[in-house]
Amino acid sequence: MTGTGPMSATRPAGAGTQGTQGTEGTQGTEGTGPQDTGPAGRGPVTPAPPAPGGQLEDILPLSPLQQGLYFHALFDEAAPDVYTAQLTLDLEGPLDAARLAGATARLLARHPNLRASFRQRRGGDPVQLVHRRVEVPWRVVEGADPDGVAAEERGRRFDLGRPPLLRFALVRLAPGRHRLVVTNHHILLDGWSTPLLAAELLALYTGDEPAPAPPYKEHLAWLARQDRAAARRAWSACLSGLDGPTLVAPGLDGGPPAEPGRVRARLDEEPTARLTAALRARSLTLNTAVQGAWALLLAQLTGRDDVVFGGTVSGRPAELPGVERMVGLFINTLPVRVRLRPGGAGETLAGLLTRLQAEQAELLPHHHLGLAEIQGLHGGGGLFDTMTVLENYPAGTAATEIADGLRLAGAGGTDATHYPLALAVTGGRTVSLRLDHRRDAFPGAEARRLLDRLVRLLGAVAADPDAPLARLDLLSDDERALVLAPPDRETPAPDGSLVSAFAAQAARTPDAEAVVADGTRLTYAELDRRADRLARRLAALGVRAETPVAVLLDRSAEVVVATLAITRAGGAYVPLHHGHPPGRMSWVVADTGAPVLVADRDPGFACEAAVLRLDLPDPEAAAPSASPDPEPADSPPDDARIPAFPGGAGGEPGQDPGHVRIHPDRLAYVIYTSGSTGTPKGVAVRHRDVLALAADHRWAVRHRRLLMHSPHAFDASTYELWVPLLTGGTVVVAPPGELDPGRLRDLVARHRPTALFITTALFNLVAEEDPGAFGALAEVLTGGEAAAPEAMRRVLRACPDTVLGHVYGPTEATTYATYHAVRTVPDSAAPPIGRALDGMRAHVLDGLLRPVPPGAVGELYLSGAGLARGYLGRPGLTAERFTACPYGAGERMYRTGDLARWTADGELEYVGRADAQVKIRGFRIEPGEVEAALLRHPSVGQAAVVARDGRLVAYVTGPAAGSPKGSAAGSADGLTAGPADVLPDGPATGPATGPADGLMAGPGPAAGAADTAGTAGAADPAELHAHLARTLPEYMVPRTVVVLDALPLTPNGKVDRAALPEPDAPAAGRDPRTPAEERLCRLFAEVLGLDRVGADDGFFDLGGDSIAVLRLVSRARGEGLEISPREVFARQTPEALASGTRGGSTGREVLLPLRATGGRPPLFCVHPGAGLGWPYSGLLRHLGPDQPLYALQARTLTEPGHTAPSIEAAALDYLERIREVQPHGPYRLAGWSMGGLIAHAMAVELRERGEEVALLAMLDAYPGAGPGVIPAGTGPGGGGRDAVGPDTAGSGGTPPGAQDGPEDPEQDPEQDPEQDGALSGLLAAIGYAGPGDAEDVMAFVRAHGGRYATLDEPTLRAVHRHYRNGVKISREYAPRVFDGDVLFFTAARGREAGAPTAADWKPYVTGAVVDHAVDCDHESMLNPGPVAEIAALLRKESP
Amino acid sequence: MTVNPFEDPDGTYLALVNDEGQYSLWPAWAEIPPGWTVAFGEDTRQACLEHIEANWTDMRPRSLIRAMGEMEE
Repeated sequence: MTGTGPMSATRPAGAGTQGTQGTEGTQGTEGTGPQDTGPAGRGPVTPAPPAPGGQLEDILPLSPLQQGLYFHALFDEAAPDVYTAQLTLDLEGPLDAARLAGATARLLARHPNLRASFRQRRGGDPVQLVHRRVEVPWRVVEGADPDGVAAEERGRRFDLGRPPLLRFALVRLAPGRHRLVVTNHHILLDGWSTPLLAAELLALYTGDEPAPAPPYKEHLAWLARQDRAAARRAWSACLSGLDGPTLVAPGLDGGPPAEPGRVRARLDEEPTARLTAALRARSLTLNTAVQGAWALLLAQLTGRDDVVFGGTVSGRPAELPGVERMVGLFINTLPVRVRLRPGGAGETLAGLLTRLQAEQAELLPHHHLGLAEIQGLHGGGGLFDTMTVLENYPAGTAATEIADGLRLAGAGGTDATHYPLALAVTGGRTVSLRLDHRRDAFPGAEARRLLDRLVRLLGAVAADPDAPLARLDLLSDDERALVLAPPDRETPAPDGSLVSAFAAQAARTPDAEAVVADGTRLTYAELDRRADRLARRLAALGVRAETPVAVLLDRSAEVVVATLAITRAGGAYVPLHHGHPPGRMSWVVADTGAPVLVADRDPGFACEAAVLRLDLPDPEAAAPSASPDPEPADSPPDDARIPAFPGGAGGEPGQDPGHVRIHPDRLAYVIYTSGSTGTPKGVAVRHRDVLALAADHRWAVRHRRLLMHSPHAFDASTYELWVPLLTGGTVVVAPPGELDPGRLRDLVARHRPTALFITTALFNLVAEEDPGAFGALAEVLTGGEAAAPEAMRRVLRACPDTVLGHVYGPTEATTYATYHAVRTVPDSAAPPIGRALDGMRAHVLDGLLRPVPPGAVGELYLSGAGLARGYLGRPGLTAERFTACPYGAGERMYRTGDLARWTADGELEYVGRADAQVKIRGFRIEPGEVEAALLRHPSVGQAAVVARDGRLVAYVTGPAAGSPKGSAAGSADGLTAGPADVLPDGPATGPATGPADGLMAGPGPAAGAADTAGTAGAADPAELHAHLARTLPEYMVPRTVVVLDALPLTPNGKVDRAALPEPDAPAAGRDPRTPAEERLCRLFAEVLGLDRVGADDGFFDLGGDSIAVLRLVSRARGEGLEISPREVFARQTPEALASGTRGGSTGREVLLPLRATGGRPPLFCVHPGAGLGWPYSGLLRHLGPDQPLYALQARTLTEPGHTAPSIEAAALDYLERIREVQPHGPYRLAGWSMGGLIAHAMAVELRERGEEVALLAMLDAYPGAGPGVIPAGTGPGGGGRDAVGPDTAGSGGTPPGAQDGPEDPEQDPEQDPEQDGALSGLLAAIGYAGPGDAEDVMAFVRAHGGRYATLDEPTLRAVHRHYRNGVKISREYAPRVFDGDVLFFTAARGREAGAPTAADWKPYVTGAVVDHAVDCDHESMLNPGPVAEIAALLRKESP
Repeated sequence: MTVNPFEDPDGTYLALVNDEGQYSLWPAWAEIPPGWTVAFGEDTRQACLEHIEANWTDMRPRSLIRAMGEMEE
């Protein structure tokens, strides 16, 4: 965070050489006054006896930054502490090591705050304890590698609880050459203080006694006097309206994994002078310039125009006398918020800096507020993960002479940060910049690029501060060359048209196969003739240049003929789709004003256009034919107005291809795509665009025979039709209807296409079901939606000889704009979308229309070949989307609305839709990013993420999900590649398969388990939730994961987000299901002051901050639950924390330690009837952290075959277990319900063995032998109770009846009216009202059984068996007499006349039975209210 | 995320036109690319779009209009 500046040294008064040979030890020091320690220079100080006031001189609060560092130090106690700072002093000349050691002790004596240790109070709040006496660690190392010693010193963690938090090592390099290594924890000292301290140390060495600086305590006192309310208001205002945090590495957990990397740069004297002059002229500081430059860099890196980062302030208030000489930790890191556009995008650099400086000045009086508190004002959670610091430490004096012959030859230091990026700048005659970077987030080369960019920005400030921000160029030459590269290949400017190009091809290869369909085979010559004939008919109907002609045809060879014919007649084809609603088709025909509709059936909608029916005989033809099959010879033109068609009428195909009358800028077709306003827009594509697509070099070899299976109305048909027809290849026409993996394989086998395009959805389906289906193809293209990496890997494995082309492109850029040949699919990400097609250029621009450097996200723009004319008849819309292009005179570029970034190799990666972002709790989230993360999980086939009611909901299908039929609605008719495609006005035809019946919501079984709900696939919401939590920042993890059989699709095969079902369960706050979860939920609630916390609620969601984390960890530790702050950060929910604690414990062991630590004798609590001891965890909080607590649980839970033959047998079993923890008495036992009986039996046995029993507590447990004790047929549901008592406390559920286990066939609850009654009561208690058969009951428990829901079926059956057996053995229990007292708790509510009482125990107890009535019913004894009362008495009665 | 420079409802815009008579909405703060001139503005986004709707009546590029005219002659 801070570095060490130059050293200042004071002139020594004289010292001789006096060696200390390889000594290692400590220097005692005391802070009670100068008289207590020997003067410097007299060697080690003799320890003085402890002062009468005790070891502690003072107890002080922590300053805000100290709190922050304390938190980070505790964050992960196992990792190296990056807040270990170091100062090295190179000393030349004769050195008296002992005297220097004495000086170190003296130094600590003078500065109380250097003797501080840091501890937490019981509540978790940290304090610093100033010790009167500490030993100063001091060692002398002979001839070792000084860097090694320094590294070793740094590597040893400071324990913040053990003062002092600094140590000294003197390395003797050679006679007269030493290096003093001073290592300290940052919590003691900031970078400003270290040179002060070093100077003082050297002065003390010489025997000087500099005037003492004011103590740090005065600073703490000053802090306490500040107006916090005003500061809170100021920071609140500063952050108001902030649109989420600015994170450069959002997926990174907060802990420091290693020492960061570091790159440096420097502005030489001349540029520094220019910068200084430019700043001075505008009264700007270097700090402002650095912060402004960092803001611009950050904005570009994160794609935001409102950024926040940490700025370090000196924290030394001018009003505190002597503050500049004080030693301690003063600096504070505070949020710096920079809005880059409030003054409009035309703001200049100087304007931005001036505004920034003024905003920061306003905050100056409020620098004392801690970061945690400020973040709390803004809803908690981290606001930033980068920071800047301007290091302007007090300059050292020029003098380097210390004592006679001893001089300071050099100083260095090391210091670090936990932020992914931290910038430190030092001013002066040159400006030095240092960027510390977490290597896991920013590799060295990347950090270097960032720093270089920053230097260029500072250069821009110096060169032209009045330049508008929009003109700032942040790119290096290399980066610019990469992102502004001209197209890889230019396409020759076409001078012809589709008509002339086809005619030329037909002339070259008249007999080659042009079209193959079932039952049809057309050569180029035949196709030419038929197209010509239809063209004449169209011309006769009035089709002229650019006349739109609507087309509604089933897929067949006729589609090819009609397409060619329309272009040949000069018109533009407007393909319609049968799947679209009639109203929409009618609208499109009207919108284009098409005078003709070519159809093969009655179109079924009203339109003005003349319908040219290809299924009816041509009335004008000499030989009418209703069949598309072999045609008669061409009719002569019958309309004199028909222009001459090249290669047409009367001539041989291909004749006179040069005689072309169609300009390449004329329209070839109009394809309608969905508009954001709901009105479809017609993309008007020119001949030249299609020619450019068809001419791309990528298709030349492998794309000879293309399978045409996409609907004509989707732009993939452009590729499928024109690439073969213009290159001498063959269009292989798939029959009409749905395509599925099976049909695909058949078609490939029958017609041997060499390539095809397939939408992402269908690709994924084929990959899952029959990945080898592509094996015979030379290439398969796929794209259109976020790729599923696993599907790609599968296909690559199954089809090693097939090229997999990943394509991207909007309809506006003529089908495909970019292409990437996928060879490997990395685990971490979907493959890139690659490079622009021939003649095209891709631009990734930021909000100021500047190209972004590689790695930064920007919006993708396309220019060059293939750009459509615009939207038919929509000039305004066209001018918005096809805009002026800065990279070519008069050129236009298409604004895709897609977010992308460049890789370092110059390929594009698709990031998502710019307008698809949703905002959850102030965070902007790209659903595509979450979807991509889901798709990386092997169990996910398809994924869609949407925001509903302010929450993210994920919808997934399993890998095998989506039957061919299920996805057929979209995939069969093929999809298009572009993200902006034809969407109907509503889900017109609807997906063939709707949402799954067995909809599953919620990450836990509380909402009904996926596997029991009958949904397909292995996708497990809880596992997916965990998977996302591992890979995404918490705010991006959907609360709800819904597993569907198939995602609803629109007719063009995109996920129909509007049709995704509502999740059917509340998404948050499920009940805890294990003791650990229960405890963590309770601890969360306590620390955060909430009534209730669900097991899946996130700590920080609920308002937790770093201080609250400390409290949580502290309290958890108090209960014997070891979690680190880092774990809280990384896992966040009780569920996740619980799963990471107790090392794989099932919570079902016989002796379950609820809290294994504590100074008091342990309390053993015996399970009630269901055999589970978890409810006792409710005692933990009230018994206090010093009370160890163990629950005994039925052996049946771990050994399903086990049945306790009697209460006594269970008691003996448990005694063996508790003696492992506590071999001898006095024992303390408690038991609720049936557990009371067992506890009694244990106590009897212990006394008989001569052991002391200090406590036997019984919670509403009654000896079961007497008549009337077990009222037949009256379970709790009937208002009575039985001897055992249902243990439904806490969660309100006892596992109910299951089928008989084979172990005890003689017992059958259905045959036993008593138990039947008890069971029905239990079922009623958990709300079960079903038929009562075992499967039904089991399913119900899964869904509603609270903590029991996680038990697997055998265990559930065991629990029930135990319960039943418990009833039996309880009744059979014949208590012997316990020698001692009983502490009894009667559940006072719901008691019936004649019910058993505590007095029933009198015969079985020698001492007193002290009864306490608790105002609750039997089942609720361990619920929050009663358990507190019981615990208080337990604690009181058993001191 | 940043507001796209073409989508700022409060922004000031221009209507640019190139030699082919094609129009482009353009943020007023941004440098005007070569080959384009200001046809309208500065004004609001809506006003610029209205100007374009009113004036860009034939969306064919000028060179095409000329070429097609010649062909018909």
